[in-house]
Amino acid sequence: MSHLKAAASRTLQLALVLWAVVTILFLMFRLMPGNPLAAYIDPTFTVEQQEALMAQFGLDRPLWEQYFIYLGNLLQGELGQSFRYREPVAERILALLPNTLVLTFSSLIIAYAFGILAGAYLAWRRGSAVEQAAIPLVLTTRAMPEFWLGMVLLAIFSFWLGWFPAGGTRSAGAEFDSLFALYTSGEFLTYLALPALTLAIYSQGLPLLLMRSNMLDVMKEDFVTMARIKGLSNWTVVVRHAARNALLPVMTSFAIAVGYQLQGNVVVESVFSWPGLGRELVNAVSASDYPLAQGAFLMIALVVILMNLVADMLYTLLDPRVGHA
Amino acid sequence: MRFSYKSALATALVALVAASPALAGDPIRKIELFTRPQAAQPQEFQSVQLIAQEWRKLGLDVQVKAMPWEQMSDVVWYQRDKWDTTAWQMVGRPERSDPDEIVYNLFHSSTAEKGYNFIGYVNPEYDAVVEAQRVEIDPAKRKELIFKAQELLAADQPNMMLVHPKSTFAYDKTVWKPESVVNQSGIGIRNTWTFMALEPAGEKRDIIVNSGDNVQAINPLYISGGVDSWVFELIYDRLARVGPDGLPKPWAAESFEFTDAKTVEVKLRPGMMWHDGQPVTVEDVKFSYEAVVSGEAPMYAPFASNVESIEIVDDATLVFKLKKPAASFVTSSLAKINLIPKHVWEPILEDLKTKETNAESHQEDKPIGSGPFKFERWLTNEEIVLSANKDHFNAPKADRWILRIVPNVEAALGMLRSGEINFMGEFTGDPQVLIAAAEQDGDLEVVSTVDMGFRYIAFNERRAPFDDPAFRNALSRAVDRQLIVKAAFKGFAEPSNSVVSPALEFWHDPAVVSGLTTGQDVARKMLEEAGYTLEDGKLHYPGDKKEELAAQ
Repeated sequence: MSHLKAAASRTLQLALVLWAVVTILFLMFRLMPGNPLAAYIDPTFTVEQQEALMAQFGLDRPLWEQYFIYLGNLLQGELGQSFRYREPVAERILALLPNTLVLTFSSLIIAYAFGILAGAYLAWRRGSAVEQAAIPLVLTTRAMPEFWLGMVLLAIFSFWLGWFPAGGTRSAGAEFDSLFALYTSGEFLTYLALPALTLAIYSQGLPLLLMRSNMLDVMKEDFVTMARIKGLSNWTVVVRHAARNALLPVMTSFAIAVGYQLQGNVVVESVFSWPGLGRELVNAVSASDYPLAQGAFLMIALVVILMNLVADMLYTLLDPRVGHA
Repeated sequence: MRFSYKSALATALVALVAASPALAGDPIRKIELFTRPQAAQPQEFQSVQLIAQEWRKLGLDVQVKAMPWEQMSDVVWYQRDKWDTTAWQMVGRPERSDPDEIVYNLFHSSTAEKGYNFIGYVNPEYDAVVEAQRVEIDPAKRKELIFKAQELLAADQPNMMLVHPKSTFAYDKTVWKPESVVNQSGIGIRNTWTFMALEPAGEKRDIIVNSGDNVQAINPLYISGGVDSWVFELIYDRLARVGPDGLPKPWAAESFEFTDAKTVEVKLRPGMMWHDGQPVTVEDVKFSYEAVVSGEAPMYAPFASNVESIEIVDDATLVFKLKKPAASFVTSSLAKINLIPKHVWEPILEDLKTKETNAESHQEDKPIGSGPFKFERWLTNEEIVLSANKDHFNAPKADRWILRIVPNVEAALGMLRSGEINFMGEFTGDPQVLIAAAEQDGDLEVVSTVDMGFRYIAFNERRAPFDDPAFRNALSRAVDRQLIVKAAFKGFAEPSNSVVSPALEFWHDPAVVSGLTTGQDVARKMLEEAGYTLEDGKLHYPGDKKEELAAQ
């Protein structure tokens, strides 16, 4: 019963958050200066064309009416038609979302694998020269702008050494039967390497520092002291006892990091010509393509909200002490 | 007594003249000059800074306002009495090889209210000249009228013309034979003729081109982004094509002929095939022109609305009857309207009639044309693959044409050097960087040519003092165009004083450009002669003219 109630209140919360997101998105783009018809201004652009476009885009209606039409369409799962591409927003987003998800998750997995190991190691070597050199280095990489980092990696590994291609997800004209065939191909890995590495370097700081400080806390706890008294080896104490407990908050931070990562994608996708949602978002905003920009933001918001839910659930799963409040 | 009366009068007059500043008009308000931001349009931004500097020397208070295109066009286009001056640009397109579109739509009074004459230029003499050139079929007589239009614009300076930029492209000469590259006058080497003619120098047979922009649509009934036209010009044929010299050539039409000022006879080239294997017929041609004006393709409609009827004479002959004589008909209609297969589009258009959206929103899964390249596939925001149509009457020598979307211009240059692309279809960076890279690399060939397009400063003729031709002239002449060419465009531009580019050799009036003397002294003298006065370093209106617009 309490489970059911919790689920219901959870769903209601989600719906409220979504409604707020949707409303803010709607207003944000319409209050921005700029006009979606600007893209059509041309010497052969006639008055009739302008009016026809206004009507087709629904821009001739009052704002509140546009808002209710938008809400009504959303409830039916209808994201509308892109002004710029004249095609359904949902189709475009679904075509680009897989590329963004692959890039996001592969870079996060690299970042977390490295961050957790390095964080645990640095906690273990607390006070050593290695730690003193590593912490400022981690903070520096965390502070580097992604586009700059991306350009540096491009210059070194692509233009100079020629190890990796400079952009896209596949070589020119390469044909794959499916997205799955593409993502599992060796060629794709060479295209994924640099953007994923850029994003991984950008995001490894959070898991690393989190892991390190958790480890330091956990190592002070009684059960670790107990383990040491039992005469267990240093390795067993650090890995089997301390690290497992320190890992918990790091894992839940993964879910939340997905949201931050999607922000980073906006820049990295442009630097590496990656056909993803982030780049589309930038284009849509600069072209005042309201439906597409709203759709892309909504999709990103959905992923973030969903990942937060996953984080909550993961917590209760991994740590039974956290129940339904 | 009498004498002293006279002398008193004289003294009074002298006093009056000496005190004349009191009679001068109000000081001119702060003038706003719009530009797009430096990050987006460095050359425009730099030009505007230089221009503002020169105008300030004349005693004007000039405020430069940088804003993104969407915001700038929103004010300039939709709030026509709310701005003073703005930087603007026109880009080159094959159909603009005929000067009609530019000389008419930009300055004719009929387009002042809601069309492209957003500056509000109204000159009945000019209207008459551009109306006359529209219906003048004799090229020599029409040329005189086009020259006359250019002279009127030079005298009135409704806009301050700055430069015709040079378009710079590059390709890998170890992949493509340099002698097979075609320069299209006013467009550059990235054009349909080049893509058909490129001959492999070695093993590589795929043309790989970059573009910074995404492709919006591949739709023969929708005029969408500039990059889209690179693609659909290869997939679809037209009855005529604008040739490398800027003049229209028979294409899918074997010949076209004006039998009188309002009748054009077209012979269709025999043996053409659609990409799905069906023959191209005269019915398809007639259908293509009717589809455009059916109400389903509003953007293309203006290019075919002058056609009154199309009569099919026999299997190979059509007769176009025009409503009005139209000198630019071949370039702006026959070389503009895409030929589309009736068997594909008739059912689509029927279906669309029952829907809210029109043909502009219809994206085919596999567009079918009859052009030199066939559509293969399109990966959203990543690439488009076309394959050579070996059965075409002008079959390409390359195997495939692949467009890669590369928003990062530095990456595009790196790709050209590494071979990920082999033809640079767009380079928005500094051309000197490209040239330096080519020198370092050795395999690259860079080609710069004068563009048909132009950059200018638009004056809002609706607002004083820009309603005064003398004032506009003085502002225009205050700026040395060579300075703009060298400082803002680093030499990659030609100074301009005409909307008809020197790349359009037949139509361009060179006297208009050489006649533009510039300099601060020239500008000051013009202002002085028109009655403008300078007081405490501030420019004032002539006579007793009041400032009617408060400075913002």
